[in-house]
Amino acid sequence: MTHNVPEDRERTGTVRPPSSVSVMPQRSPRIEIAGLVGRWVLGAVFIYMGLSKALHPEDFLKLVRQYELTTNPIILNSIAAALPWFETFCGVMLVAGIAVRGTALVTVLMLVPFTVVIAKRALALAAALGKPFTSVKFDCGCGNGEVVIWQKLIENGLLVVLACLLVAGFGRKWCARYSLFKEPEMRSPKE
Amino acid sequence: MLVAVTAGLLAFAANAISNRGLALGRNYFDAQIHDGSGTRSLPAGTNTTPLLGSALQQLVAQGIRLADSNQVTALFHDPRFEQGLVAFIDARDDEHYQAGHIPCAWQFDHIHPENYLSTVLPVCQVAQEVVVYCNGGNCEDSAFTAGFLASAGVSREKISVYVGGITEWSTNRMPIEMGERKSGRVAGAGK
Repeated sequence: MTHNVPEDRERTGTVRPPSSVSVMPQRSPRIEIAGLVGRWVLGAVFIYMGLSKALHPEDFLKLVRQYELTTNPIILNSIAAALPWFETFCGVMLVAGIAVRGTALVTVLMLVPFTVVIAKRALALAAALGKPFTSVKFDCGCGNGEVVIWQKLIENGLLVVLACLLVAGFGRKWCARYSLFKEPEMRSPKE
Repeated sequence: MLVAVTAGLLAFAANAISNRGLALGRNYFDAQIHDGSGTRSLPAGTNTTPLLGSALQQLVAQGIRLADSNQVTALFHDPRFEQGLVAFIDARDDEHYQAGHIPCAWQFDHIHPENYLSTVLPVCQVAQEVVVYCNGGNCEDSAFTAGFLASAGVSREKISVYVGGITEWSTNRMPIEMGERKSGRVAGAGK
């Protein structure tokens, strides 16, 4: 369905955006570029983290087991088998700019529980060892080997912020298909 | 939702196609550390922190000993080692084993026991002392391997787990053999 904006203006005297056309806020080129870089960074991080685990699934399985989330081998294997590839696909979708907001939301839903679980384990280790939290380090199964945990938590926090910005609508530049169902038309809200 | 479902399906498909993929129905941590004989209390002074993983704690409760670096070094220099009466078992995967192991240690990756059992089991049955190790730290491969060997018929009394693992061994500047067993490529202090 197409709308003729001048005709609408004649009929009603006001300009209302047609229901089938999303009004996309016009952002400065710098913000658009920043959004693009943010999307690519988040996507690249997910591809790297995903592939590094997908290429060594047995190592990842051992690390997942140490979190003691479940004792059911099928669930445990499913997590270790699917999660790395899941992350990789999300990364590819972000880099290519496919279903960006939905993919970014999925990354937030992954990152938040991961971060909580890592923080809980680090707190338990710090308490058991009587060491300060900042000195705790272990291989969290994040794809980088042994890491200092407080740094990892900050890194995850930044990734969550980045993903939330994408959910909010940033990172539309150079997308193969920003939305799976509806391609918003480029239109200024001043029109 | 569509993104999550699609990525999930693709992730399982990728795992199925990958030659490194995990078998979802298999229990990689089979009940090797449970022998049905009941468990005993942990010996006094046993470290029960999260660093000593749950698998290792259960093994200790079942009577398998933990060895420190002094005991392992003494066994390495024991004349029985030359006679095959002291066996070192490296519980890590190929990549880590090839990168460096205790000289003359036998590899036994519990994820693929079928590849090693026919070689390692006779060695362990002949030996008077069997020392199992992995990376150390929060690595539990040595615990699972020790449990596997015990369930395969090796007497628990002669199995000990070197908790410090190869990390502590190399930190103590002990010799490291690279490549295959008896490759002759040994780095570090001479035996």
